[in-house]
Amino acid sequence: MPRLILTGNEAVARGALCAGVKVATGYPGTPSTGCLAHLLSLDLPGRHVEWSANEKVALEIAAGAAWAGQRALVTMKMTGVNVAYDALISFAYSGTNGGLVIYVADDPGVSAGMAEQDTRGFAEMSGLAVLEPATPADAYRLVREAFELSEAVGAPVFLRSTTAVALTHAPVSIDDTDKPSPDRPLVLEKDIARYTKAGSAICITQHQALLRRLDAAGRWIADRGLNVLRLSKTDTRVGLIVGGAVRACLDEALDAARIERDSVSVLELAASLPFPDELAVRLLAACDTVIVAEELEPYVERALYVLAQRTGWNGRIAGTLDGTFERTGEIGVPEIVRGLSSAVRSDSSGLAGRSPEVISPNGERPEAVLSSTGRPIPRPITVCAGCPHRGTYLAIERAIRDAGLSKDEVVVTGDIGCTILGMNPPFDLLWTEVSMGSSVSLAQGYAHAGVKTPVIATIGDSTFFHGGIPGLINAIQHRTPLTLVVMDNGWTSMTGMQVNPGTADAYQNEGRRVDLEAVLRGLGPDVLEIVDPYDLEATSAAVLRGLQRSVDRLKDSDSAAGVSVILAQRECAIQARRWGVAERRVVVNPEACILCRRCVQVTGCPALGLSFAETGDGSPGRQVIAVDPALCNGCGLCVSFCPPQALGWADTRGGDR
Amino acid sequence: MNACDVVLLGVGGQGVLTVADLLTRSAFWIDVSASLVPTKGMAQRGGAVKAELRLGRAGGARIAPRTADIVLAMERSEALRALDLARPGGTVLLYDHVWLPAGALLGRDEYPSRERVVERLVDSALRVRWIDPATRPTVAGWPATANIVCLGALCACWQLAAILDPEIVERVVRDRWPKAAEANAAAFQFGFSGSWTQQLPADGRSEETRDAVG
Repeated sequence: MPRLILTGNEAVARGALCAGVKVATGYPGTPSTGCLAHLLSLDLPGRHVEWSANEKVALEIAAGAAWAGQRALVTMKMTGVNVAYDALISFAYSGTNGGLVIYVADDPGVSAGMAEQDTRGFAEMSGLAVLEPATPADAYRLVREAFELSEAVGAPVFLRSTTAVALTHAPVSIDDTDKPSPDRPLVLEKDIARYTKAGSAICITQHQALLRRLDAAGRWIADRGLNVLRLSKTDTRVGLIVGGAVRACLDEALDAARIERDSVSVLELAASLPFPDELAVRLLAACDTVIVAEELEPYVERALYVLAQRTGWNGRIAGTLDGTFERTGEIGVPEIVRGLSSAVRSDSSGLAGRSPEVISPNGERPEAVLSSTGRPIPRPITVCAGCPHRGTYLAIERAIRDAGLSKDEVVVTGDIGCTILGMNPPFDLLWTEVSMGSSVSLAQGYAHAGVKTPVIATIGDSTFFHGGIPGLINAIQHRTPLTLVVMDNGWTSMTGMQVNPGTADAYQNEGRRVDLEAVLRGLGPDVLEIVDPYDLEATSAAVLRGLQRSVDRLKDSDSAAGVSVILAQRECAIQARRWGVAERRVVVNPEACILCRRCVQVTGCPALGLSFAETGDGSPGRQVIAVDPALCNGCGLCVSFCPPQALGWADTRGGDR
Repeated sequence: MNACDVVLLGVGGQGVLTVADLLTRSAFWIDVSASLVPTKGMAQRGGAVKAELRLGRAGGARIAPRTADIVLAMERSEALRALDLARPGGTVLLYDHVWLPAGALLGRDEYPSRERVVERLVDSALRVRWIDPATRPTVAGWPATANIVCLGALCACWQLAAILDPEIVERVVRDRWPKAAEANAAAFQFGFSGSWTQQLPADGRSEETRDAVG
């Protein structure tokens, strides 16, 4: 079997291929993006892989394929499930024919942003099973199990990974010899009792069937031996339940705590839902204390309490609910060691005395070594050098100022993606970030609340296609006084440059570009203006006209209300640079630079730094602003904010230094 | 089996993750178990980058706080993160590049001097070796590539050399960029030779480099 270095995400993709997946869909979102991105990087005749418009659309496509008898995979980050759930609960009720696997990457510890939510909550609500890989190799194995389970019981199955699994690169053995054809017999079953929800008898019957499938999933997982119980060979009567990514840390944690592997009973869960009652009963019978180490919400721990009550077990359960582990962040080796230490310390078992060095420390968190003076200086993230969004933010700032208002009084709602970086210095412009598309509707709420200043909403192109369109339709219908700035850079850029409906035809594979301008025009806003964000004058003038309409409306209720949409269009600078689109480059005339730092203050451009002017005799001269030629993408915004005109174009100042 | 935990730090765009990837592939080549978790956030925008590389271990991919054997920092201020990452007695390899964020450019945040960073690290029982970027040799008209210099310097640390043969790493680099093979070999050798070596405490070198140099 060939071995490859794969991330957990890529291992899911490879495992799904090996399981004969025919249709794979998803929406980008850290930490899940790499799974579908990997499939798109491969040449896969006979299979369909796509970035869909949003997670709900992606799930519906995958489910349609699965209802037609094919194996299908849908991928998303944890917050994507919020979007998909409306459809997901109905698919759970109806079940599936072909295997349907919902791959979700959760982010305990929030490495990337958005709510630290636990996908197992959705699985519990919808009565679906959850498999949880611990490593990339485990992900490769479990995605295939998930397809088998899905078809065995006729239900969608969650495959839930976390950042520490999804993004880890590690060697995985790939089974290329046994690649089944993706084509399975088509299932075309016309049965309204199964595939519709119209009628109470239909829904009750489907709910009962769902519960039967959940029971069957529990039996299938038990028969398959996905969860492993190893009872202690000693008389310590201490047990440990570990699930998901925490499983990978177990041996190292026991070593660190100097506890023999045989001296504790361990239940390792690769399938946490439905709760493995039979194994847990055997674990409880062998233990007086059970420690449950699970990241985020205590689903397993609560189920264990219920089981303890039902079976009359009187031991002690340590976990998240008693504060042994925190309900936020990752659980790694130090957390398990601390958990073992604090749980066993007050226990009468032999374990407490066995390894005094580690088990006996007082169980408190060691203080962070870093004092306030020893910290690295903050590196707030801002948009890239040459990012078109920088021009748009500066234009909005200028328009607000030109309207005689201040940034602290004009509500500007923000949205998901690179565009949210307008919340950071030096722009400090955006007030909110909620969910895909929320900026547009949230702004309407502010307007109807009676805010005395104009309200502005901002949104990126992919986010607009994903969830912004209904909000805009609503604003147009209700003539809500609002300025919406759509920042169209042609890519889903924050997650690493994925194709979205508005991306140019050349990158659409089999598909085609949807014209964002035509969409906006078709919706019929009261005003639609199209600007180039590198053109600061024109962009700020367009925003100002939008603000002025709102101001007029606020002063005079007879004035025309309605929505001004400004479409600020220019391709992402990182992508433009990749294609070799040559913008001009900016250089510094060191003699003219007075180091007022206004360029840095206004633009915050990462290509701006400091250097020493040359003196001719080799000694360092005075400090001046420098432009890093490797980073500058030539938007030239800094040029317009240089009082002594020391910044200028490379081609007009006699070439590079 | 020998094991070594390495954390690599820097700023997006410096090639930190490439160094981590080359080491992972080198380990893969000679069948040493390896795992790598990159944390780049929105790093193309000049944000902080971190990679956790575990060699010779099975299990979880995260490196627990204050247990890393080696921390490579490719940016001066970011090197302070090593205080919370390296084990007592561990090695911090500092490539003393300065990348000022806007707050420091505007004078709002005080950017630390090298002396101050080194002192903080040494005070926390860490061994520090640093490379002054200005001492890099010129190869074919350009300064030796910074991240390949750092890769060479890492390979000279004995904990790493005990697991990964530096010649294997050099070969992986050559195979990755055949056209730049000579330039990269020169950068790697400069880093590996330790001819740039500046370190504290002063007796650190003999212990840290004994196997690789000997």
